[in-house]
Amino acid sequence: MAVKTPVDLQARWEILAGPEGAFTLTLEGELDAVTTPYVWERLEKELAAVKTASLQIDVTRLAYCDSAGLALLFHLSVGGMTPGVTGTVVGLSPELRHLFRSFSREDFQAFEEHEPACSNLVEDVGDATWTWLLDLRQQVEFIGEVTLGIAGSIFRPRRMRWKEVMRVFEIAGVNALPIVSLLTFLVGMVIAFESAQPLAQLGAQVFVANLLGLVMSRELGPVMAAIMLAGRSGSAFAAELGTMKVNEELNALQTMGLSPVQFLVVQRVVAGILLAPVLTIYAMYAGLLGGIPVLLGLGFPLPMVLHQIQSGLHFGDLAEGLSKSIVFGAIVASVSCLRGLQTGEGPRAVGESTTRSVVSSILLIILADAVFAAITYTLGK
Amino acid sequence: MSEPARILIQVRDLTVGYGDHIVLEKINFEVRRGEVFAVLGASGSGKSTLLKHMIGLLQPIHGEVLISGADLVTAEGADRLKILRKFGVLYQGGALFGSLTAVENVRLPLDEFTELSELAKDLIALSKLRLVGLEAAATKLPADLSGGMQKRAGIARAIVLDPCILFLDEPSAGLDPITSAGLDALIRELAHGLGITFVMVTHELASIFSVADRVVVLDPKARGIVAEGAPNWLREHATQPWVRQFLNREVA
Repeated sequence: MAVKTPVDLQARWEILAGPEGAFTLTLEGELDAVTTPYVWERLEKELAAVKTASLQIDVTRLAYCDSAGLALLFHLSVGGMTPGVTGTVVGLSPELRHLFRSFSREDFQAFEEHEPACSNLVEDVGDATWTWLLDLRQQVEFIGEVTLGIAGSIFRPRRMRWKEVMRVFEIAGVNALPIVSLLTFLVGMVIAFESAQPLAQLGAQVFVANLLGLVMSRELGPVMAAIMLAGRSGSAFAAELGTMKVNEELNALQTMGLSPVQFLVVQRVVAGILLAPVLTIYAMYAGLLGGIPVLLGLGFPLPMVLHQIQSGLHFGDLAEGLSKSIVFGAIVASVSCLRGLQTGEGPRAVGESTTRSVVSSILLIILADAVFAAITYTLGK
Repeated sequence: MSEPARILIQVRDLTVGYGDHIVLEKINFEVRRGEVFAVLGASGSGKSTLLKHMIGLLQPIHGEVLISGADLVTAEGADRLKILRKFGVLYQGGALFGSLTAVENVRLPLDEFTELSELAKDLIALSKLRLVGLEAAATKLPADLSGGMQKRAGIARAIVLDPCILFLDEPSAGLDPITSAGLDALIRELAHGLGITFVMVTHELASIFSVADRVVVLDPKARGIVAEGAPNWLREHATQPWVRQFLNREVA
């Protein structure tokens, strides 16, 4: 058989037929990661076309061979291209022989036979339920621990690290003001625009101001502030505590006889409870400020707009918004800290606990908001 | 082999630092083909910083890092990739990807840089795992491997594209003496069996005396190299008393 040499290929090979199906495959040139795929494919076709009884693979004239080339030689030697006929490799340098020995048929068979564990639906449901129940238990325990921690700090104020509370207050609160302002300003604007047209059809466009005041103080102010707190600061709490857990700082606290909840969580929860109403008031004002230019644009004078907002709002509306915000603040801070403390091991653990903190916080905020809505509706009857 | 041909890595007038803080100033040394070369020094002497500059992770303030005559500092695009393919790196913790099994971690560079068939890639990855003694752990996730096994898997991944140089960052850090000795034996086997040149950064003296052919010793006060030579020779003959103390583990 003639020597095959593609113009730009550095590897050459020749298959010589001997007596009684004894074949010799001679390889020359360079067998590397670039040439091997082509040579592999061609040899597979050419060897399939002949009936071999034995195969000798001569690599004496091989100038260079890397792991890719050795993989090809190994495949040839175990009869990968000549079913039932194993090959003998001759002419390997001592260095390559050492590498060639690292290829093993047994390893490959074991790898091929390995099947990833199949999941079972019943087991999965059971596992998920068990995990959920454990998580619920941890949450209840955690709420108890945090409540005890806060109560303890009230009776023994020196236990509360107010410096840490102020630090969290600044990072999670003061630094969040620009983004809270911008978002709620835009939300106020959108509400004014969206409600102006339907109310105009009823001849009640002036009530856009009343609607804006009510929506911002009772609903969107607290909810937007809480969601912002969860996304911006709750995730930071979870990541911070999670990293501390991965770095064994929490273990260090425990072995010093300090409770991580008392030392790290209580401060953040207190900061969250104090912070959320402040952010909410800020969000309410920013939302109103966003709606006012729209109303002015619709032709209503400023005194009239302000009068409408004032007349539509009652102390109860503000109180409802602020009480919601306190609950939301407590939810965000405590859930985020819990997720941080639940951080597992490995590089993905912190990311996972951060995601869980945001998802859980937002879910619980909406849930608590629904409960509030039901309660206020019932009380208002 | 002529002397220039034996030299695989040249570090010339290398000045490195962070901002205004100079860590190492105008250092020069060479690494010869096939040797196990160690960078030694106390904590904070700039060992890891030097390694990061040698593998192109950081840009030096001044100087050159020549690998087979090509400057890694100024190379860009395909030229840089060509130089990067000449070496593999083992990071301190192994740096395995947590979501991939050991064999998938080792296969990753083959998937990204070659056109080999799936079968060929599996065969190569498994052969590398056998080389480092991890053939039985091929389908395990990094989380299920011990620290020593993770480093072995890291070495398997680093050599899967057949580099001629392997950089090791604190290979023995965090390992027990037996595992550490096993890793040293693996380094010797790969160096002598496959002709790989090793550059390791460490302060583990046992490893140095066990595997290193030559060392350079960094001194934070001098902001450079204060001794260079075979470790056993330096232990007795280093001109700086501090180096002799360091190598003999004597309290200053």
